[in-house]
Amino acid sequence: MLSLYSVAYDLISIPLTAIAAHLPAPLSAWLVNTTLLNVLGALVFCAILLGASMINTIMLIWFERKMLGRFMDRRGAMHVGFAGLLQNFADGLKLFRKNTRRPKDADFVGFYAAPTAYMVSSLVMFAILPVSTGWSAGALPLSLLLALVVFSFAPLFIFLSAWSSANKYSLLGGMRSAAQMIAYEVPILLAVVAVVVLSGSFDLTTIVYEQQNYWFWAPLFLALIVFVAGMLAEMERIPFDLPEAEAELVEGWNTEFGGMLFAFFMLADYVRALVGCFLIVLLFLGGWTMPGWVPASATSFPLAGIFWFMLKTYLVFGVFIWIRASLPRVRTDQLLRVGWMRMVPLSLLSIVLAVAVVLTKCLPVIGCVPGIGGG
Amino acid sequence: MSTPETSSRPPNDNPILWVAKPLLTAAKQFRKSLFRPSTIVYPFERLEDPKFREEVAVAAGKPIGIGAVWDNYRGVHALNIDTCISCNLCAFSCPDLCIDMVNVAGGDPKHPKKCPEIDYGKCSYCGFCSDACPEGCLTMTTRYELSVTKRADMVFSPERLYQVYEQKLPMNPIRLERPENEDQILLDPPVCIGCNACARDCPTKCITMLDIVKPTAAPGEKMPKRIWKEPVINDSDCVRCGTCISVCPKECLFWGTRK
Repeated sequence: MLSLYSVAYDLISIPLTAIAAHLPAPLSAWLVNTTLLNVLGALVFCAILLGASMINTIMLIWFERKMLGRFMDRRGAMHVGFAGLLQNFADGLKLFRKNTRRPKDADFVGFYAAPTAYMVSSLVMFAILPVSTGWSAGALPLSLLLALVVFSFAPLFIFLSAWSSANKYSLLGGMRSAAQMIAYEVPILLAVVAVVVLSGSFDLTTIVYEQQNYWFWAPLFLALIVFVAGMLAEMERIPFDLPEAEAELVEGWNTEFGGMLFAFFMLADYVRALVGCFLIVLLFLGGWTMPGWVPASATSFPLAGIFWFMLKTYLVFGVFIWIRASLPRVRTDQLLRVGWMRMVPLSLLSIVLAVAVVLTKCLPVIGCVPGIGGG
Repeated sequence: MSTPETSSRPPNDNPILWVAKPLLTAAKQFRKSLFRPSTIVYPFERLEDPKFREEVAVAAGKPIGIGAVWDNYRGVHALNIDTCISCNLCAFSCPDLCIDMVNVAGGDPKHPKKCPEIDYGKCSYCGFCSDACPEGCLTMTTRYELSVTKRADMVFSPERLYQVYEQKLPMNPIRLERPENEDQILLDPPVCIGCNACARDCPTKCITMLDIVKPTAAPGEKMPKRIWKEPVINDSDCVRCGTCISVCPKECLFWGTRK
């Protein structure tokens, strides 16, 4: 089985062995040392992961710009690269060249540490989420729990950045972010509990394999709706972008950040959007598996798992763009009311449904098929 | 429990529709503009390109041609130096004072020909100048791209305006109709000293100095030696530029209606 780590290990071990063949004995033995090769292989593994996730994130921004343009009857980025594909790289370069200014009253550590921590905590998610078989370095029995924990760090760093930039608009945005977190984290976790009940595991790989016969959105449609709404709030996308409501609070919690610090926030927002789409695909849309009626030739070509996974991810993100193009921003009290009075009962109901499916080993529409209800 | 005063929600208003309706509207727009959005790629495509003519005509509600959509656009001026008579009317009518009459090459060195020079930093594109032009030589074209990198480049000399004219761009219709009962130039004969300034400076040469018979002097008074002359204005050639009034040293010419 070809795994990403074995590719990374080969990438570093083959050239090092070739170099070691021409070196004297003590040096070559040190160079092809197993520990060194493992460490370097892990570094190359991380580099591949980082590059792939960054390119995907930037493509996601391009995808959003183009598709949002179509929703607004315009064309989006056009001129840099084919169909504006390189526009975001140009924008990143522009932001990189810009000066970053710190307000006089801003806290030094918080002001510079918060964007970095926000970015890093978002990037760590890519090491946890399996994109295809053999993608992640090792099996984590509680990877779903770890993913949710790391994913919910972000409001802390948002609040840190808001507090340390010593600006009332930033602070208001940070407060809103904190208030919002309480409203959506509980329904998200309850919706995930339904998935865990149905699959009987906290391991994302196992959850995906449990969906080989049927995808979880069919019995857990309510949980999917709750999870998507919660993810919209988690990513701070319209209609739940209260923390950076640019019409009310200049730019929300990233008002005072410019240049590369702003680019970090901007990029991390889309990293989190990508991760949210990953989670939805993993938990409800079958991950990299495809239903049985899909011909085997469509699922067996090299990297087919990654292909189908990314296709599903971009489709889910397309739905997010569609929502962004359609709906206006809600008020804080509306978000809280929806979170507590609609999403929590719905997710509890979906847990009940999941338990019923597990007990009866039957699905409402599809009927009783082998392999339903966990192993 | 909410009282009837506080619950303002109409009975048939379904909260699901609040989400579903905008989503449907956006999806319709997406389907419409997926392959061909309404926006044109401006520097590479222009609305005046032939392939957009039909769409523009539909949007404007009238056909494209003489006297229709594009021809009413007021852009950069075009000046035909050859027919300009230096009457100054464009500069008089300009509300922004952006027109200067400057000398152009050629002609009599003592009395050089003057043509309008337009400062587009001040121009408001009102079109009064082209309306006022009696010869139809200063018109407004449909050219709208005027960005320059230096402030001095905004000033278009008569030669540059003539270059615009030579491009033969679509132009505003030229309005040469005169209003009825227009004021004329009248003369106060007793004041006139016959100095010939008005006839010399008239751009259309419609003033001729004619010998006139002065009333007989009182007995015993000496008759003046020189021949008295007085301007006579050919009203059909007059363009009402007022040059004669401004050059008259005795203020004996004035606007008025002949009874």
